[in-house]
Amino acid sequence: MTTEAAPRLLEDTPLPPKAGGLYRRQNMWVGLVAGIVLAFIGWLISHALLQGSNWGTDMVVTVTMTCWVIGFNAGVGTFNGPFRWLTNDDQTAEDELYAAGVGQGAKRYFKFCTDHKVVGTQYLVLVMVLFAVGGTLAMMIRTQLITPHSSFMTPQLYNTVVTVHGICMIVATIIMVTGPFTNFIMPIMIGAKDMAFPRLNAASFWVVFSAVPCLLAVFFLGGVNAGWTTYAPLSVQDPPAMDTFALTILVFAASVTLAGVNIIVTIVTMRAEGMTMFRLPIFTWGSMLGSALGLYAMPAFIMAMVLMITDRATGTSFYVAAQGGTGWLWENIFWIMGHPEVYVILIPPVAAMLEVVVTFSRKPLFGYVIVIAALVAIDALSILVWAHHMFTTGWAPDLSGPFMLTTELISIPTGLIFLCVIGTLWKGRIWARLPMFFVYLFLWNFIIGGVTGIYLSDVPADGLFHNDMFVTAHFHYTLMGGAMIAATAALCYWFPKMTGKMLNERIGKIAFWIIAISFQVTYLGMFWEGFEGMPRRVAYYDPTFLHANQMATVGAYALIIGWLVLLYDVIHSWRNGTPAPANPWGAKTLEWKVPTPVPLENFLVEPVVTSDPYTYGEPEKEAPEPAAKPAHEPELIPGGGGT
Amino acid sequence: MSSEATVETAQGDGAGGTGEAGAADIPKPFFSRPGGKIFIIWLILTAIGIVLAFVLPKHTFPTMLTKEGSTGVTTVIFFTIMAAPVAALVYGIAAYSLLAWRHRGHPDEPPEDGPPLRGNAPVTIVWLVVTSLLCIVLLVWGLAAMAADNQSPPGALRVDVTGQQWLWTFSYPGTGVSSRSLVLPLNRPVRFDVTSEDVTHGFWSMSLGVQVDANPDVVTTIYATPNKLGTFTVQCSQLCGLYHAFMYAPGSVVTPHQFALWLFGHGATLRAASLDAKVKMATGQGGSG
Repeated sequence: MTTEAAPRLLEDTPLPPKAGGLYRRQNMWVGLVAGIVLAFIGWLISHALLQGSNWGTDMVVTVTMTCWVIGFNAGVGTFNGPFRWLTNDDQTAEDELYAAGVGQGAKRYFKFCTDHKVVGTQYLVLVMVLFAVGGTLAMMIRTQLITPHSSFMTPQLYNTVVTVHGICMIVATIIMVTGPFTNFIMPIMIGAKDMAFPRLNAASFWVVFSAVPCLLAVFFLGGVNAGWTTYAPLSVQDPPAMDTFALTILVFAASVTLAGVNIIVTIVTMRAEGMTMFRLPIFTWGSMLGSALGLYAMPAFIMAMVLMITDRATGTSFYVAAQGGTGWLWENIFWIMGHPEVYVILIPPVAAMLEVVVTFSRKPLFGYVIVIAALVAIDALSILVWAHHMFTTGWAPDLSGPFMLTTELISIPTGLIFLCVIGTLWKGRIWARLPMFFVYLFLWNFIIGGVTGIYLSDVPADGLFHNDMFVTAHFHYTLMGGAMIAATAALCYWFPKMTGKMLNERIGKIAFWIIAISFQVTYLGMFWEGFEGMPRRVAYYDPTFLHANQMATVGAYALIIGWLVLLYDVIHSWRNGTPAPANPWGAKTLEWKVPTPVPLENFLVEPVVTSDPYTYGEPEKEAPEPAAKPAHEPELIPGGGGT
Repeated sequence: MSSEATVETAQGDGAGGTGEAGAADIPKPFFSRPGGKIFIIWLILTAIGIVLAFVLPKHTFPTMLTKEGSTGVTTVIFFTIMAAPVAALVYGIAAYSLLAWRHRGHPDEPPEDGPPLRGNAPVTIVWLVVTSLLCIVLLVWGLAAMAADNQSPPGALRVDVTGQQWLWTFSYPGTGVSSRSLVLPLNRPVRFDVTSEDVTHGFWSMSLGVQVDANPDVVTTIYATPNKLGTFTVQCSQLCGLYHAFMYAPGSVVTPHQFALWLFGHGATLRAASLDAKVKMATGQGGSG
């Protein structure tokens, strides 16, 4: 954009009545209808052709749900771009503006919209819905376990609830930061107008959206007995629900892959002038390294599930021991995905939390390069640790030592990140606002999660605790108490920018204290169960574990109340909150230097970056030279510099 | 300015926070400086951590009946002691920074900037060395304990463990005894050969300190040496379908004499060459322990 004309908001561009073409008639509802119609056609055909053959029902379910995914995405507009490109009728600039949501008001949130801020908001709502589903299922689990032999759920339903709770939370936590915050914030942080591939970005959202009905269909197709880890050969024997479960994973993994490619390419190629790689805000690095790890992990997930589907639907025997396969194959491929995946979950929220620590300590990030090096080291090590999930399986006992080594080595880069957090807090002007509350809760929880993790990395101690409630408590401390709490800090931090409203801090602090305390009650109760020797994923248990279970259940009920208060706060503030200024925290990264609400293509004046964003206490670095020519809105120029 | 220079600018500025004495000529005593106060907090938190390391496992674990189980408990205690100082340091600095350096102005106004400490090479190196050393200690401890557990002891009693949906069968090869409960003699190494008839199960008893999966068409092996009389539960640890929760079996560690009696009581046949061989089978190569 030139600085000659007065800044014009792109969203005010008048569009000709036909701009957008097919997009004009497409939205979420059209997608739902198209998906259901195509699924019905797919069911009719596959049912007529295949029912009665050996693989009948599994194949029919797979075909039907695949048709749903394709139909929904065709209806919502995912395929318009590639289709028009293939037919040599590529989208015009006006079509692009229409697809970016120009002139559609709030309706664009229900459409295939290429504006990264709309996609980020869509992701935010989807993540909250997934957490609501997963949280409800968690309450069902804890209700079942309030007495040793509860008749609240049948074992079949209980196993299904445990499975869907697990995968629902895994899906939600994988996308909880890279979905909402990386999409919304990261392009602004690096001074870009949008993501590198805006259509791919919208596609990644609507593809993962279409996976959700596949997952919920599990409840209506007989249920999955095998837990979210779906160990073969048990999962090969499961009802047809397992087919739609596997399809959910394929679709979800495809979405994460699309999103990951987009994030990495955006960061590498779309940075503003002067934004060198080592001036990137640390959240950008975290998003990139988390996404890169996802690109490594997700293909393994896809491969594992494809073999699962062929075992079930076409009679192959990759995982069936009686026919020459082995469950260890599943366990290996699954955990080759599964352990990098926990860092796919963890790295982006930790990096987001570091932004919060910096802003609310009013100090530069301590050891910027060390954090990057530590994140790279975690990325690299995490692909070499998968078999610590298999210490007790009997597979390759001679490799237990090496895998114990790699697992314990990860504590070194993780420790360095802790050093950088406390180094940033050191002598900071700690501003105790709501995001910072959640940072402190993260520190408290993640230390406990990390220390209990080293017991599990040790082969002899793992023999006691593996598949025990101790493990359940441990990973809830890391993934929920760590990653999800850090993501909540990020939500409180970026809420004013994303919604244009301030988050009510009084209600937020009430929610915080309920969450902080009841979280400890819940999961310390679960550690207690684990020490006593209660296995995980059981619907019934020995009465000796009663008190620990009651403690965990009471804590869980309080915990859900805390989250509901926070949810109320988010919804209430989003609708009725006080309007947020552009930079309520006095933060220095670029997203705070654009107006709120953020205009289409973000910047009215193209930013030129002259230093990293952590210039707290060094105002001289912010404005090394005067602006070369007068800008219309000098405050929009980061670092006070000009072109 | 290059990024590297940016990062290194402030190195050496914030060496441990003990350099605040410059304003007044008389340096403050150690314990009234931030470093000293954090040191006290750190000592207290570390002490609490170490006390918890001893108290909590004692009151929560079931009684361990084998050498392997006791090793696991000792490992938990030892690792907690190793981790306590690190955790205490993070908690101590986080808590102190919140209490002592909190912004006390108007809550809606951002505070003024803090000192631009962009890193501190000596502190980072010390941290890296200490955490690496701790990591090596944990690793060596784990390898040593693992080596001790994995030895194939002479004169071990063999028990074939078979899992199926949803029960356990324990058979004692050579005796013809097959049981739904697991009875083990005191002070004699036991070798469990574990397999499954259908899906993957987990042969697990926390009191015995053993856990290994029961995989179909594969035999996995694990050892344990009971060194205490008592009862325990064998529980399936690997989700195995509908009635996974009910896949447990009772067990007990008994004296060698009681064990021999139990074997005969459960129909140990005299297919073995002689009564002598039979007793030898039941009580082990070197006689009773």
